[in-house]
Amino acid sequence: MAQCAQSVQEFVQDSFVPTVAVLCSADAERVTRRNNLSFPELLRPFCRLTSEGHLRDPNNLVVVVKGLRISVTGVNTQPLQPGEVRKLLSQAVSGCQPPEGLPANVVTAGDYDLNISATTPWFEAYRENFLQSMPASDHEFLNHYLACMLVVSSREAAPTEQFQRLSQEQHRVQHSGEYTHPKWFIPNTLKYYVLLHDISDGDEQRADSVYEDMKQRYGTQCCYLLKINSRAAAAGPAEQMPDPWSQYLQKSRAQSPVSPAVLSDALSESHPLELDQTSNLGYPGNPSVAVNSIDTSRKQGGLPASSTPVAHGACLTLNDHDRIRQFIQEFTFRGLLPHIEKNIRQLNDQLVSRKGLSRSLFSATKKWFGGGKVPEKSIAELKNTAGLLYPPEAPELQIRKMADLCFLVQHYELAYSCYHTAKKDFLSDQAMLYAAGALEMAAMSAFLQSGAPRPYPAHYMETAIQTYRDVCKNMVLAERCALFSAEVLKSQVKYSEAAALLIKMTSEDSDLRSALLLEQAAHCFINMRSPMVRKFAFHMILSGHRFSKAGQKRHALRCYCQAMQVYKGKGWTLAEDHINFTIGRQSFTLRQPENAIAAFRHILINDSKQVATQQSAFLREYLYVYKSVSQSSSDVTLPQLPLPCLHSAQTRVFFGHERRLAEGEKQAATHVWLDQEYDGEQAQLWAELEEQVVGVANKGSVPIGFQPTQYCLSCHTDNLRYPLAVVEEPIIVEVVFRNPLKVPLALAELSLLWKFTPKDFSRPPGGVPGEALSNEKEVTALNDIISTEVIPEFTIGPEETKVARLQLLPHKTGELQVLSVLYSLGTVEEDNGTTSRPTFVRGRQDLEIQGPRLNTTKEEKTSVRHGPDHRLDPVITPPMPLLEVFFINFPTGLLCGEIRKAWVEFVNVSAVPLTGLRVASTHPEFFTFGCAASDLTPVTPTASEHCSAYKTMATPPSVAATMLVSPAMFGVSGDDRPTVAEIPLVGGGLGPGEALQIPLWLRGPDREGVHEINFLFYYESVEKNANHRVLRHKAFICASRSLSVRATACHSNTLPRRGGAEEEGGSSMLVFVDVENINTSEAGVREFHIVQVSSSSRQWRLHTCINPTGDRDSRLASRERGKLCFRATRCRTQEGETHARKYTFADLNLGNEQIVSSTTPCADFFFRRGSPSEAQKGGVSVGGANHTRRQSLTPAGGADDGVTGVVQKCSEVELNIIVLWKAYVVEDNKQLILEGQLHVALQTVGKEACSVPQKEEAQEMVLLKFKPDQPPPVSRPTLEQLSRLIKTCLHYPESYDHPFPQKSLCMVPVTLTLSNCSLAQVDVIIDLRHKTTSPESLEVHGTFTWLGQTQYKLQLRPHEVQRLVLKACFFQAGVYNLGTPRVFAKMAQAGTMCETSQQSSMPALIVINSV
Amino acid sequence: MAVCVAVIAKENYPLYIRSVPTQNELKFHYTVHTSLDVVEEKVSAVGKALPDQRELYLGLLYPTEDYKVYGYVTNSKVKFVIVVDSSNTSLRDNEIRSMFRKLHSSFTDVMCNPFYNPGDTIQSKSFDSIVSAMMVQSS
Repeated sequence: MAQCAQSVQEFVQDSFVPTVAVLCSADAERVTRRNNLSFPELLRPFCRLTSEGHLRDPNNLVVVVKGLRISVTGVNTQPLQPGEVRKLLSQAVSGCQPPEGLPANVVTAGDYDLNISATTPWFEAYRENFLQSMPASDHEFLNHYLACMLVVSSREAAPTEQFQRLSQEQHRVQHSGEYTHPKWFIPNTLKYYVLLHDISDGDEQRADSVYEDMKQRYGTQCCYLLKINSRAAAAGPAEQMPDPWSQYLQKSRAQSPVSPAVLSDALSESHPLELDQTSNLGYPGNPSVAVNSIDTSRKQGGLPASSTPVAHGACLTLNDHDRIRQFIQEFTFRGLLPHIEKNIRQLNDQLVSRKGLSRSLFSATKKWFGGGKVPEKSIAELKNTAGLLYPPEAPELQIRKMADLCFLVQHYELAYSCYHTAKKDFLSDQAMLYAAGALEMAAMSAFLQSGAPRPYPAHYMETAIQTYRDVCKNMVLAERCALFSAEVLKSQVKYSEAAALLIKMTSEDSDLRSALLLEQAAHCFINMRSPMVRKFAFHMILSGHRFSKAGQKRHALRCYCQAMQVYKGKGWTLAEDHINFTIGRQSFTLRQPENAIAAFRHILINDSKQVATQQSAFLREYLYVYKSVSQSSSDVTLPQLPLPCLHSAQTRVFFGHERRLAEGEKQAATHVWLDQEYDGEQAQLWAELEEQVVGVANKGSVPIGFQPTQYCLSCHTDNLRYPLAVVEEPIIVEVVFRNPLKVPLALAELSLLWKFTPKDFSRPPGGVPGEALSNEKEVTALNDIISTEVIPEFTIGPEETKVARLQLLPHKTGELQVLSVLYSLGTVEEDNGTTSRPTFVRGRQDLEIQGPRLNTTKEEKTSVRHGPDHRLDPVITPPMPLLEVFFINFPTGLLCGEIRKAWVEFVNVSAVPLTGLRVASTHPEFFTFGCAASDLTPVTPTASEHCSAYKTMATPPSVAATMLVSPAMFGVSGDDRPTVAEIPLVGGGLGPGEALQIPLWLRGPDREGVHEINFLFYYESVEKNANHRVLRHKAFICASRSLSVRATACHSNTLPRRGGAEEEGGSSMLVFVDVENINTSEAGVREFHIVQVSSSSRQWRLHTCINPTGDRDSRLASRERGKLCFRATRCRTQEGETHARKYTFADLNLGNEQIVSSTTPCADFFFRRGSPSEAQKGGVSVGGANHTRRQSLTPAGGADDGVTGVVQKCSEVELNIIVLWKAYVVEDNKQLILEGQLHVALQTVGKEACSVPQKEEAQEMVLLKFKPDQPPPVSRPTLEQLSRLIKTCLHYPESYDHPFPQKSLCMVPVTLTLSNCSLAQVDVIIDLRHKTTSPESLEVHGTFTWLGQTQYKLQLRPHEVQRLVLKACFFQAGVYNLGTPRVFAKMAQAGTMCETSQQSSMPALIVINSV
Repeated sequence: MAVCVAVIAKENYPLYIRSVPTQNELKFHYTVHTSLDVVEEKVSAVGKALPDQRELYLGLLYPTEDYKVYGYVTNSKVKFVIVVDSSNTSLRDNEIRSMFRKLHSSFTDVMCNPFYNPGDTIQSKSFDSIVSAMMVQSS
């Protein structure tokens, strides 16, 4: 229960006051009327006594009466009819609204902080009015008239007679039995004669004399001369007089209608409650009615207020006020109280004289103290006798009468014992109504006894309420009783009991009462020691419901709002929705459309758990309210709509046209489009490509402010800068809508709302920017500046997420800002034949994009800050070139290494010329545009269909043809692979609308599988300082296996013949090429032909084919393997020196056709090949990183290192083999010939190299090492490496005939050729001393001896060849091994002697024949 | 037996509410929500006395005109509420207890599901069927 202005004691005392009737003569009435007041009204503000009164009880004890109030009413006041009472109460409640901006009481309970109005003045107003309108009842006397004032004006001709007449009148009213009202307390009512004198108008002396006369006649106790109206009414309105009547009259004017006419008038008016209820039912069909009803009720409520400007007491001065006060005091103390005292005595005497009663009185007290028990009878038994009525003068009632008198004069102790006695009497008589009344009052007087000698008997009250309600069916009395009881319980902090009591009192018969009581109960719950928040909320809702049924919409809304605080955001969505819905409805009927919309919005926005039908009802209601609001308001800005949910952050913006991907044979570059999902890695890759190409275009340096071009902005991209859009190129904004409801939503006329500031970029900066324009008023009004696309219909299914793409086409340069999405929201109507158009409401939703959270500075880290996001604020720049690229005959599948020719078409679709076309790619080895010099292919794509991609010459197979080529010709500089290639355009650029087709060669990637190849075309405007633009293309190539080429190089032991045709001074090598057909699709590829093997190197070249078999045109069917053997020689040194950077291409064709490998495209692809080591590095692994570090740890420099280098150099070979092949493929019953080339790079002698990149071993788990690696030992050249320093060769006749019989010694000249393979000077020691270690060889071969010098010491310059002539001496015929000389080599400069035996000499057999 | 079964999280938001479909669901939501006050009251009263041997079953929370509301609180402060029709007088306290115990064990199973995120609404079929069984028995 909420706090009240009064304390409980005050409240109870004020509720039960002595009542005094007033009987006024017509003249006297006229006197008071001058003040716009009736006599009782005149007295009312002064009815509370400020001083204490005294009286003696029957036992002669003095009773002090404090703060007594008396109630003065006209004797003819009619009790109100129940209907009127109801109306009165409802007016009282609706007239009392919580004041706006009242500091609310904050209750904290658990997690809840609730704003609750601490006081409920409407409840107090209700209670006051309710108690005042209580009809006088027969079973109690409390509000019966105790006295009657007879008022006569002094101007009356015969005042005394007038008094006489009034007195008779009073007697008639009381005793004739004609009137049921009013009721009188005791038969001999106190009559108090008041002579009313109008000072301004009457004769004062006469008044005095009449008063004297009165005193004579009625005694001084019962007379009074009241002088009022000291001034004329017109005395001056300027004088401000306090108006104590206003507060009483405002409330009471309607309640105590003076004339029955007013009453009937009021009755004839339709009942406000009923009106409200009907309008409530009619909702939402006819809101106008509802609104009207509010107006009428307002008017009714405001009726007294509107009449208040009539000032009360205009003729009364402050002195008059004092006089009236004096009068009341006099009346009470001299007249009323003595009268009561007398009556109490009388009644007491009567009672004492009556034996039974006195006994019961005694026994009652005895029982009380003795603790005896009165057997209480059950309610069911008593029911039949509820109708029992005592005659007014029944002796049983006398004690009750006495009790009431005592109660009125605040003698509660005596009152209690009397009530108690009476209760027992009534109970024994089964007079239930009387008993209940006695019980109620007994409890009240027990409560009011000061010092509390006995506890408050709550069960009395309970019984009383129960009896009133169930037995007597008198809800009014029950309610009164409950109100008192609840108040008392509340004062005793028994909130839960009070709440239970109040809740019990709610019933179907009165919504207003139920509502108020439920609200009070709710307040009880929240005021408990541990506040019961949820119960509070629940009862608030119940209360709100009853309020709304009672037509108290404001109170209902307030209740729901207070309950909402508890339910809000706690997951009880069903309840929350219900409350929101009710709040919405109530707010709407109360003309608070903003609140209504907000409440409805809540229901719709959150993920509603409601069923679909409910949701569609909510939605319709919302649309209806919204529509009516938007129609009424003339606001220019469209309001925000709650549905569908707009995911602003997911908004994407695309600059450019929508692209057609394929057009017949042509296939457009994929570029960027909204359908592509954002991929961070891809974006990074493109950005890197762009940076590379920009770097190349700017001659090696990337501008400082470089930012990769972004065509599609999303939440993943960097949106810090204002994006650039080009005039006449569309801007497409993709917005994401989500429908959270289970019903479909229809959007119509969807478009973008923008703001545009025109700006001319061609003028020098500093110009005044144009005025900002917006298409807010009319979507398509400014289509000449920016064309706005409007989507006429857009339906979102239930719980669907859908994107809408909205296009803007700027026609002027300037700064654009996309603000929001405009649309009409409506429901999707089931098509059931009705032609009614579903309601659509126009509104907008702003696109507010929050930038990424900042997290760099400390301040930003500690607080939540977001950066800007400018993706929706593009700057419209002047026209820029726009390139479109089409690919013609672009394959999707290739064999590994296959060469295919395709065409690219470049089209400049803009009105501005473009230049500087370049392309960057992630796979530069995949394609080539050919070198600028070569232009030998057919010019159109169609003509080239059956031609070879290579340039060929008819040459029979013979010795290799060679050609020197510089890599610079093919755009290769340095060791890096050229990722950026310039595209040779005729004239260097493309004019507006021009198109150009140029050939493009593709080579299947070396690895099988699907390859993703990214092309980035770069171009720029002819104008300076203009930004570049890029075009992206992503191709997918499926590579299938073709051939695998393995090559090995070996040192050949033979030395070039002296004086031979080949002038290569240096060494030669053997190259073995193993080719295997590893193609798996047997059906597709018939066979491979190796057409040609070419070499490309700076130092070596293939010389001749030394294939043992005569198979010239080696063909390989599926899974076949072939071996080719070649001899390679060193290139001419002088050429190698002068053209160090030049490559020698040597072609060895196996067929009759030579492919010129030194031209496009063969050489292009050769130069663009990825080096195998690079391929290995592709995946950066832990092992790789480890490896590199270890390398760096190796100490640099040092003699040994030099040795190593030299030695390694010696075995190094840099020879690239290009195997050119043809594949015969059957496809659709046609035989196709495919061509291709494979590269093998030979690096070290003896080490096999393969064209197919080796599959990387599964990365083994690398052990974690906690100790740093031991630095690897200084690497020394291995023995094997050292053994390759010097090549030796023995020249001797294979067989030698010698006549041993003639000559026993056979001497054979043998030449030992020594060749230095290294680039350093080498000291060589040759030891001829026979030291055959293995005894076996001794057995097989006979022994021989070297003649002459057995040890030689030579020094060989780099690549020097020296010959030593030796002599071997044989003793008999046989087979000998001459390979015994041991050769030791040592680096000439090397500090340490690292002498090793060279080349474990292989058997060099000689046959000595004896002839 | 039951007309409404509810599981309420520690933070007092509903994890699961199911009621007999013939009746107004909203009413049960309100009833269950309101009963939480009593649960809290009872828990705090009992919690002071014997924190260890707290009886999980709270008994009758509060009777309304049409329904009786029973409560049960797990050790992790998850609340179970069962609403029973007042007219059903045959129901004993023990039966209510056993219903709660069944509910608790089924709830424990739900919590043990590694794919269940504590705090989410319960969407387990087996839990549903247990609850259905409780509601079917009455009709």
